[in-house]
Amino acid sequence: MSLAEIFQKYPNRRYIMYGGKGGLGKTTFSAATAYYLAKKGKRVLVFSVDPQASLSDIFERDLFGKGNIEIMPNLFACEVDADQRIKDYQEDIRQKILSMYGMKQIPEEIESYIKASSAEPAMEESAIFDAVVDIVVKGDFDYYIYDLVPLGHALYYLSMASIYDAWLENITHLREQMREYDKAIATMQHEDQIGQDEIYNELMYIKERIGNSSKIMTDTEKTAFFFVVNPEEMTIVDTEKAAQLFSRYNVPLAGYLVNRVIDRSLLEENIPTYLKNRIEMQAKSLKLIDEKFGSSVLSQVPEFDSEIKGLKIIRDLAEVMFEEKLP
Amino acid sequence: MEEKEKDRKKKKAGGIIGFFRDFTYGMATHGMARHALKQRSSMEHLFILITMGDMLGIPILPPYYSLRLLPHVVPQITTWKRRMLREKDFMDSMY
Repeated sequence: MSLAEIFQKYPNRRYIMYGGKGGLGKTTFSAATAYYLAKKGKRVLVFSVDPQASLSDIFERDLFGKGNIEIMPNLFACEVDADQRIKDYQEDIRQKILSMYGMKQIPEEIESYIKASSAEPAMEESAIFDAVVDIVVKGDFDYYIYDLVPLGHALYYLSMASIYDAWLENITHLREQMREYDKAIATMQHEDQIGQDEIYNELMYIKERIGNSSKIMTDTEKTAFFFVVNPEEMTIVDTEKAAQLFSRYNVPLAGYLVNRVIDRSLLEENIPTYLKNRIEMQAKSLKLIDEKFGSSVLSQVPEFDSEIKGLKIIRDLAEVMFEEKLP
Repeated sequence: MEEKEKDRKKKKAGGIIGFFRDFTYGMATHGMARHALKQRSSMEHLFILITMGDMLGIPILPPYYSLRLLPHVVPQITTWKRRMLREKDFMDSMY
């Protein structure tokens, strides 16, 4: 099956993700897919949460931390500034404390806790995935193309999400028991009613957010996850391992795309030995890819002779990826 | 807020029925209520421990989300810390 057929066959898969090691071409493929779908008349948002995001480079516009920017009709791009997001979030918490208790200043121990929280190991991943939920739940685009951070992060988050879920289950239960006590005390003291448990409501909210964020990556109906590989033995082996890990967390794999394939017909020309050797090496790796991934390989994209930057080259790339001339 | 509180007290304290109600409450339920309140506050402290444990060096919850809970427990933090670091029962239960 080709990549274009996959998109035709599964129109409900609105969350598109390209995964793979760094530098294989995830961002260029994300951009090209966004271009292709936008040309087909779909409203598309391509977004990245990587602090070293390269959507800005590809679209030749400064997108970092600026929200959804229209690149061309139907195509929007967004780079989330995770650090800024954490800062804003901490500031929100401070403001909330100040207004809840009519304080002029945050107590010192609370302030140092807030400050220390940004250094916690899972803070960034949590903030990133929370940002993704924000972007996706709005639902005002036909397609969301998620230029994923390198694989480790995503896996780390998915495993975290399942642990948090169990943890939340437990504390929610504790909270419910506390509520029972509140009710009993109120009856004994002849109080008519007891107030809302704000903490319980917050817990419910957190549960929903964590559930949503892992669902975006694991929803078989709506998510398509593609792996990008290069014809190099090491990349192939690593990708295979990553694919196994992802399937353990029920991430729906839609297929593999091979990037940077050097044109074999060059062999007939007078080319340096270096290039000849590379082509032979790639031939071996392509065979390995065929053995390992077989019919799940959806597209083979040649090595371009220039950097993929700007809409014109993105269009060329999209035409190769989807094997179709675009207007 | 204060108005409401006064209102509530007035309602509670009113009349002969109110007197008997308070009397029986004092006789029978007060002890129970006190016990329940104590239990409830232990649970509150346990709850803060498992959500904000890293304040005492026990990291448990994803910090991103525990921050959301922080505003709601601000008034209890000081007593909680004091109690956790002093409580004999608590240490007993750990070792």
